[in-house]
Parts: sequence; structure tokens; C-alpha cells
Amino acid sequence: MGPYLVRRVLALLPVMAVVVTVVFLLIHLIPGDPVSVMLGPDATTTQIEKTRQALGLDRPLYDQLLGFYARILRGDLGQSYFLDRPVTRALWERAEPTLVLTGLALLVAVIIGVPSGTIAAAYRGSLWDRGLMFMSLLGVCIPGFWLSLNLIYLFAVRLGWLPAAGYVSIFSDPAAGLRYMVLPALSLGFNQSALIARIARSCMLEVLQQDYIRTARAKGLSNRVVIYVHAFRNALVPVVTVIGITTAVLIGGAVVTEIVFNIPGLGRLIISAILRRDYPVVQGVVLVTAATYVLINLTVDLLYAVIDPRIRYE
Amino acid sequence: MARSGLLRRLLTASMAVLFGLAALTTAAHAQIKGGVVRVGNLGEPPALDAHWTTASITETLTNHVYEGLYSLDSSNRPIPMLADSHTVSKDGLVYTFKLRQGVKFHNGKEMTSEDVVASLGRWGKQSIYGKALFAQVSELKAVDKYTVEMRLKEKSAIVLISLAVPNNFGAIYPKEIAEKFPPEQKATEYIGTGPFKLAEWKPDQYIRMVRFDDYKSRNEKPNGYGGGKTAYVDEIRWIPVPEVATRVAQVETGELDFADDLNLDSYDRLKKSPNARPIVSKPYYWLVAVFNKKEGLMTNQKLRQAWQAAIDIEPIMKNVAGGKSEFYRMDSSLAPVEISSWHTKLTGLPWNEHNRDKAKRLLQESGYKKEPIRFMTTQEYKWMYDFALLTKQQLEDVGFNIDLQVVDWATLVKRRNNSKEYDVFTTGIGAAYDPTHHVYLTANWPGWTTDEDIQRIQSELARETDPKKRMALWEQQTRQFYEKVPVIRYGDLFGLRAMRNTVKGFNEKTERIRFYNVWLEK
Repeated sequence: MGPYLVRRVLALLPVMAVVVTVVFLLIHLIPGDPVSVMLGPDATTTQIEKTRQALGLDRPLYDQLLGFYARILRGDLGQSYFLDRPVTRALWERAEPTLVLTGLALLVAVIIGVPSGTIAAAYRGSLWDRGLMFMSLLGVCIPGFWLSLNLIYLFAVRLGWLPAAGYVSIFSDPAAGLRYMVLPALSLGFNQSALIARIARSCMLEVLQQDYIRTARAKGLSNRVVIYVHAFRNALVPVVTVIGITTAVLIGGAVVTEIVFNIPGLGRLIISAILRRDYPVVQGVVLVTAATYVLINLTVDLLYAVIDPRIRYE
Repeated sequence: MARSGLLRRLLTASMAVLFGLAALTTAAHAQIKGGVVRVGNLGEPPALDAHWTTASITETLTNHVYEGLYSLDSSNRPIPMLADSHTVSKDGLVYTFKLRQGVKFHNGKEMTSEDVVASLGRWGKQSIYGKALFAQVSELKAVDKYTVEMRLKEKSAIVLISLAVPNNFGAIYPKEIAEKFPPEQKATEYIGTGPFKLAEWKPDQYIRMVRFDDYKSRNEKPNGYGGGKTAYVDEIRWIPVPEVATRVAQVETGELDFADDLNLDSYDRLKKSPNARPIVSKPYYWLVAVFNKKEGLMTNQKLRQAWQAAIDIEPIMKNVAGGKSEFYRMDSSLAPVEISSWHTKLTGLPWNEHNRDKAKRLLQESGYKKEPIRFMTTQEYKWMYDFALLTKQQLEDVGFNIDLQVVDWATLVKRRNNSKEYDVFTTGIGAAYDPTHHVYLTANWPGWTTDEDIQRIQSELARETDPKKRMALWEQQTRQFYEKVPVIRYGDLFGLRAMRNTVKGFNEKTERIRFYNVWLEK
């Protein structure tokens, strides 16, 4: 396990290098630059040139790229053009809301998805099965944006039960923090629960076909014991994969939810950074997201070994 | 005698009752000190350095924290703010400004002439209005602690108005800050003389401004952007809410007290809301299609005139305004109605002729061979995209070939500075308070209007100080505009804001929002 772990962690480095280079080139090659945005639409060409020089944007691209690598190796992600602070600090300040939102959305997705899939499989063909799968179909088809706005309209504007948007840290005020998270986590979680439900159902169905299940039933065990004690854990491996992928998707895909609910997380940060061409921030967020994605994949792989003792890595 | 005595007593009694009632009702509307007014806006300002950028959100925010020598009154004319008075020499070449005394900066220091000279010097090197003024200035110096002298190279019509415009304005900073940050570098320390001071800036979360207790207000009543300013609220909290539907929802739920830059489709919903109401903001922008006159197809004047002759503006404006007549106005004047000093009512202008035959004839005379015309727009401002699309349809009906290129705002702003990348682009022209501030008539602004007649009249406008002669020049310039067609002027579009009913004292007539003289009712 040890050497395997070390190899996997080392494999991170080339992946990250490629991702970071591609994004650097992309963001610098698309038209538009931060200076025109910052100085306002009526700036003159001389002003723009002067500010570009001050920011080092007039140096050739390969020069800027090498400078970027050198800084990363020192742990310095640069200074944001718009936020007047180091990128590392901007990322640190924005990580908490995204992590909280992602965590809660994942919780919602798992709480809705896993039982739905399991029950649907257990009562296959019944009204339960069809009803739950229809709900998961809705989860896939309903655009997150539309769902978010409608949740705001119903629960905040009409009923006044929950706030429409905003963020309060759970660590400073847990009750208020949770109130602000209910609608966004629900919206984001519902979308993601669909895939989890479907995979859980298929896996469960497959496992329920197995011989040892028939043996368990023959032994006279109740349906509930059969499903939850014997079948469930075996069905888990693919489900854990999907949950892992979902986590990664959530971290990146919480963007729309963050914008609609005005949550100051990494998703909103990267969108505004792209629109303003705040290059250092874009590069920083992509670097961190790529690293997180790869680490999550690694964790999921390691979890397999825990869940299924038959799986071993060389 | 007895009857008139009774009558008199009756009259006195009813007067007393009436006055009593009046006193009661005015007492109910008396300004309340305290509270936090939460304002939702589009996004983050690129800077809070007023000299540095023309971004309108910077304009709105900085005008709460800083002040200039002059400000604009309700007719958009210059009135003194930090200046007490001024005199002009007989030959018109020396302006002497007397400053108000005892005005404090947020750090406790008193504002004096050396702060003014340092700040305006910096402004004169970076701001577009500063540079235009300082092109005529030979020297700016401090004569004594409260007197500043400006010497001009030539007679200028734009001294006071340049010092009064709120956008990219001549904000007075302490000398130390004005000298610490070179003009092309954003200032990142924020000390002004305004009624509010910057308390906290958490990017993409909020900007907090709190009441400056030592603010020295002018004695006059509030007048437009100027006059007396009182900070009734304890704090203004500016909250960036990028998603417009969320901004509206938050005013309805009470999470925000005010929201700016809303889409017109929220209007009906806001009208029905029990706790909030819509405000139509005028002026907002007039819609414009700007031609690249440096190189390419649109250097051909007849082609530009053909475009102008072809379009039917009213249906376009109606569509862009979502069918609501409250949100648009048809007008050929280059300055909107609200800028009354420069509003023109000329007739016989070739504006909105929607004459297809004339357009076709001009197209033919221009020698146009149906080459694609690159028309750049963006979906980030829905109204730009809408009017571009409708224009394309109308023009193709008379024989134009329009290649509509839709890009994001950052790309559009970048590309429009490069004459090889486009033929026409969409934008909006906001309030220009002086004829010399109409950027589309200048040679350096994208589009590059270098027409000799237009340029000659612009320079005369900068020097002619007699108001009647200036207006005559401006009318002449308007006629030149419609003949030479540097850009296409569509109609005026208005904007939408939302305000909770607990917010009182808000001036709905200014182009941009201000929260001094505003209080919150319980």
C-alpha cells in the first residue's frame, strides 16, 4: 500500500503541470485584457499601455509562463489585479463557503440518492420504483439555475421562511449559517442526487441477483436483513466512485448556485476573475481545483480497499 | 361685531388645529438618524481611486467618500463644493479659487491648498476629464493656505464643469496620498472629505462605509449632487449581487434596501410589491452604434448615411424597453432632456427618417458591394444585444450584409481599441455634462472621429466662454453630427432601480445613486 500511495501522489505532478499550462495559455490567448476592464471603457491607449507595463503584461508569453512556474515552486501564486491581495489569500478566504456548500449538497445528494436507489431496487417494478426513478429523472433534467430561482421565489419571497441569498459562516453563527445554506444545498444536492440514485439502483439490482443473496433468503433471513446487511455493502463500490466524482463535480459545478445565491465562494471567484481577466486568480483557482480533484480520486481509490477487502493494490 | 368676533375665533381655532395636524404629520416624517442601508449592485469596483477609472460603479462609491472643488446642481450645472468661491481675471486666463476653511479629512487633517494642488495635478495626468482640462492649463499653484490659482494657456469654457463632473472626478485627497501613488497606479488608501468614510472592503462580499462624524456640510439645502449633505444612516453597505433576479428578490424579502441596474422585466412585479417600489432612472444611456472611421468599410461616409437613413428607431427602442413606454424616449438631441443646458430641439435632422428608398440610393452611391460588415456586440448588456439584432434585420432588408459578432464585454472593450478588428460596435452613451465631454466626437476614443469640421467645432467649444455663442456652436455641431454620421444615435433608454418603502429622502432625479440625505424609517 505504501509504495502505491507514493507513486500515486507523485503522479499528481505531471497532471497538475499540464492543467496549469493549458489554462495559462488559454486565459492569456483569449481576447480582452484586465487593464481595459479596470481602467474603464474610455481609457486612452497610452494609459492602457502604461498600466500593462506596470503589471508585466507586455512581456512575451513564454517569459510570463516561466515567471509563473518559478513563482509556483516558491508557493507564490501571485497578486490579484482586482482584489489587491495575494491570490493565496483570496483563495483561502473563499474556500470555506464553497467547502461548506459542497459538503452540505453532497449530504443532501447522498441522503436523497442512496435510499432512493436502494428502495427502488428492493421493490423493483413497483410504484415506489417508478416514482423514485421519475424523481431522479427530474433531478437530471431540471436546470439548476431554474430550480434555484424558483426555490428563492417560493421560500424566500412568497413564504418568507428562508433568506433569498447570501452567506453567513457556520462557524461564527451555526443557526443562521444553516438557514442560508438550506436552499442552495437543496438545489445543488437535488441535481446531483439523480445520478447517485440511478447507480445505487443498478448496483443493488445486480447484487440482488447474486447466489449468496439467494442463499441468505433461503436461510430465512428477512428482506430487510438481506438488503441492509448483505447486499448493501457489496453494492457500495461503484456508488462510492460516483459519490467521489460528484464531490469533484460539486466543487467545480457549484458556480451557478454560488452566483444565484450570492455565496462568496471559489465558483463566484473564478467567474468574476474570468470576466475581468484577473489572470493570477484564474490560474490559482484552476491549480487548486485540479489538485483537489486528483486528491479526491486518490481518496476514492483508497477507500475501495477499505470497503472491499478483496481489493488490493501492488 | 359679535359675529365677526366669533368668526375670527373660529378661524384661529381651525388654523391652530390645521397647524397642529401639519406639525404631527411632519414630525412623523422627520429624519431618523441611524441604521444600515444595504445596497445591491452589479459587481465589484475595479478601484476606489476616483482619478484612476471611468467605471460608473467607482463613480457612485467614491462620491460618498470624496468631494471635489465643485459639484453639480439639480440642473446639472457646476456649484461650489470644497471651493468657497472663485474669481476669473479679466483676460479669462487666471482662475483663483478660495477654499472653504475647517474642512477635515477622515484622518483628522485639515484640507488646504497643497492637498488640492497635489490631487488635481494627479487627476490632470490620469483622468480623461482631467487631461482634457489640463491640456489648457499652464500652471496650478497654491497661493496661500486656502487659495489656489490656475493659469491657463488659452481661454477655457470648461474649467468649472470639469471640476464638477462626478465621473472620474477631481477628488481631493490628502497631499501625502496623492503624492504616494503615481497617476497610472491605483491608489489603495482611501481618505477623503466626504460624509462617509470607508470602513471595510471585503472583495466580492461587501464594502462598508460609515458616517464621518466630523463632516463639515455646506449650509445650503441639498441641490442635485451638491449642497448640504447629511449622513443620517450609520452605515452604507454595498453588496455585490451579480445575479439580477436575486437582487430583485432580496429587495422584496427585505435583505436589501435598494438594488440598482435591474432588468426591465422586474418592473411589473415591483409595482405590485407591498414593501418595495420601482424607480425609473433617467437618464440612463442613449443607444449608439459606433463606426470604425480609421480603416475598413465604414470609412465611407455615404455608407454610414445609408445606415442612418434605413433604420426605424421607435420599434427598436420599444422592443429593447420590453414594450414599456416608461422606459424609452425618442429624441434626436445629443444631450438628454435632463441636461437642460445642452438639450437641443432642432428640426429637419436626418434622424429616424426610416426612408428605405433614400437608404438604397445612398448604398448605391457609396459603391458598397455587399461585403460583410463586422458588427460587434455583447450579451452581457441585454439591451446592446437586442438593438444590434434588430438593427441587423432592418439593415439586411435594404441590402446591407451584417456579420454580427457576439463577444463578452472584456473582449469588446479590448477589441474596440484595435481598428483592424471591427467595423461597428454597440455601446451606450451616459450623461455628458458638457459638449466637450461627448467622447464619440473626439479623435482618441474608439471609432476615431477625426472629421475636420467636427474637430474644429469641438476646439472652439473648449474655448468659447459666452453661453449663447456656445449653444449656437453646439447646435452647429449637432447638425454636423447628423451629416457626417460618426456614430448612429438611437433613442434614450431608461434604467430600473428598486427601493424598499422604509428608505426615505432618496433623490430619484440624479443619474447615479447617492445615500447621503437618506434615512431609514422603522
